Amino acid sequence: MPGPAVQFAEVSASRGGRPVLHHVSMTVNHGQTVALVGRSGSGKTTLLRLVNRLLDPDAGDVLVDGKNTRDWDPIALRRRTGYVIQDAGLFPHVTVGDNLATVPRLLAWPATRVSVRVDALLNLVGLEPAVFRDRWPDELSGGQRQRAGLARALAADPPLLLMDEPFGALDPITKGELHAEFLRVQGALHRSVILVTHDMAEACALADQIAVLHDGELIACDTPANVRASDDPRVRALMGIVRLKADAS
Amino acid sequence: MTELLAFIASHRAEMATRLGEHVVLVAASTAIAAAVGIPLGILAARRPSLSRPIVGLANLAQTIPSLALFGFLIPLPLIGGIGTRTALVALTVYAVLPILRSTITGLQGVPPAVVECAVAMGLTPRQVLRQVEWPLALPSIVSGLRVAVVIGVGTATIASAIGAGGLGDYIFRGLAMVDATVILAGALPAALLALAADAALAAAGHLADARRRSGRHVAVLAVVALLAAAAVWSGRATAGRADLVVGSKNFTEQVVLGELLAQALERRGLTVDRRLNLGGTAIAHEALLSGGIDVYVEYTGTSLTAIFNEPPSADSDAVFQTVRERYAALGVTLMPRLGFNNTFAILVRSEDAKRLGMKTVSDLAGMVRLKADATLTRADAPWRAGFGYEFLERPDGFKGLSAAYGLSFAAAPRVMDLNLIYRALAAGEIDVTAGDATSGLIESLGLAVLEDDRRYFPVYDASPVARASVLLQYPVAAEAIRSLAGRISAADMRRLNFAVDGEKQDPAVVVRAFLDRP
Repeated sequence: MPGPAVQFAEVSASRGGRPVLHHVSMTVNHGQTVALVGRSGSGKTTLLRLVNRLLDPDAGDVLVDGKNTRDWDPIALRRRTGYVIQDAGLFPHVTVGDNLATVPRLLAWPATRVSVRVDALLNLVGLEPAVFRDRWPDELSGGQRQRAGLARALAADPPLLLMDEPFGALDPITKGELHAEFLRVQGALHRSVILVTHDMAEACALADQIAVLHDGELIACDTPANVRASDDPRVRALMGIVRLKADAS
Repeated sequence: MTELLAFIASHRAEMATRLGEHVVLVAASTAIAAAVGIPLGILAARRPSLSRPIVGLANLAQTIPSLALFGFLIPLPLIGGIGTRTALVALTVYAVLPILRSTITGLQGVPPAVVECAVAMGLTPRQVLRQVEWPLALPSIVSGLRVAVVIGVGTATIASAIGAGGLGDYIFRGLAMVDATVILAGALPAALLALAADAALAAAGHLADARRRSGRHVAVLAVVALLAAAAVWSGRATAGRADLVVGSKNFTEQVVLGELLAQALERRGLTVDRRLNLGGTAIAHEALLSGGIDVYVEYTGTSLTAIFNEPPSADSDAVFQTVRERYAALGVTLMPRLGFNNTFAILVRSEDAKRLGMKTVSDLAGMVRLKADATLTRADAPWRAGFGYEFLERPDGFKGLSAAYGLSFAAAPRVMDLNLIYRALAAGEIDVTAGDATSGLIESLGLAVLEDDRRYFPVYDASPVARASVLLQYPVAAEAIRSLAGRISAADMRRLNFAVDGEKQDPAVVVRAFLDRP
């Protein structure tokens, strides 16, 4: 590969005319899972949306595989970038199977290859194909929807995966199950993943690197162990919630 | 109810035609409105800055009363005139708003997260629309189509006023005849049609439900095919035009006369389109000038006063000459008079007329004077008169009449509703009145018309008016129309009117019998 999976260089961005990100620089290496952590409004989602050109930066560059996103054809870039959001964003008007088949069909895969792929993906995320292929999204539980959303994002075997609070709407038990599922899948596939979350415990459990955003600035970017040991009060405040949780349990 | 069933039974063929016209009008206008409204709706949903002006314009169009809209459209070139095309334009204008709105609502109702996912998965804007937004907005769009169709079925009844046919023909005819049965013959099928169309679209919408993918395409295809077929059919209906188009205004006598012209032309081998029940003198005249119709029967006095703005006159020949010249300047030929004068008629009971030997209004004036003197010596009651309000007030009504004939009654004439004067006279509540010279009620109630021997009343001689170019093109048509000259007396016209109004016979049947008469 010609460069790191994703590289942010001095990136500033705004949404609706309001500056949200200021001079953010960081690197996501191939096969790494990086968690973007921060309070609401810290700019996590904005940073994520710069990667697949749902947004373009005001200043600075975003490089995907060493190529500036401004030079990427947005459609081609998005088709090789999996995208998972909270509550999955499944298309409500087609079956789970058809949801998973969306991108392969856009890429004009032959029908048999699509159908084999759909079943493989359902197996991968722990949904029995015979049971779930022809279900409608609103017939699934929250956890099943999130599994299907992950499977859909992986459909065309994208090297890069963007996940925006994918487990945010789940109860703690389901969330724990899905964390295990994610680690199992990632252990098998080794994708480059950017995961947005406001849950430091989740970040610690899933990520190789944790990037902490505060008011649009990157204030830490390190391994979970080092971030945990940080003495920056803004990082400690985010950790504090984890400690309280740990004490309570 | 039995009357209605009898009417429907005796008008089966005509009703089928009218129902067909109605369905075609609504289906074609809805199809055009969908072709306009859905893309506009998509545009408006995409660009909120455009949404306001687009929806505002559609709202504005919706507030124009339908008759006024038809009125605006008649003088316009290309989209105007009378007949199916104008009606289609007006109906389309009304159908656009609900379709436009439902399209915008439907698209705005698609969850933003779903659209964002579609974009992020690499769908092009067109693919997002086709694969995600369109199917999710479809139920809303179908509901807009349902609203448009139901509005259209109702509004299309008014299209009859500009000669587009449809079930409105019966409603207008019934209103003109003050006959609830005929009104119902138009209104009831229209209501049923609206319900049926709504139910059919609801079923199509159900099939189009995203959950039945196989049915979805079938349903959408079926609706599109149906609408397209209707549009093509209506296109052919306007294109495959008959040799001549016969018009008439919207009251019984006019419909009978229109039918008379049509059958006379058909008997000479010409094909005829009937645009009967046009909404009045102005619309019929405008239609004749614009070529929407080729011939209809007008009254010379009406042409003189209402079309050419001249003062009325009682001189039949002079009026005919004046009007003929004025029409000629417009490229219209005034054909020979049919033989009756549809003016005011002084009416008495025929038994009185016979008993007293009265034939003219002068005779009546003499009788009234005689009786006014006689009351001094005999116990016989004086003559009682009753008139419609308008006749009493107009200077060329009662005032002029009494001056012209020296006619004065002992008691002031009673003011009565026009629809009641015939029965009041027959029942003996009054002894003399002024009615319509060709009213079908005159013979049937045993009344008699006294001759206007001093030629007081202006003339309204029935006379066909035809486009000169059409007469040149079809000499046989001119021949057919001329053959009717002088063939219809006032008594004939009263009988024809009574056959339709009083005996509820079909105008076509009544006219056929009249023409078959030796």
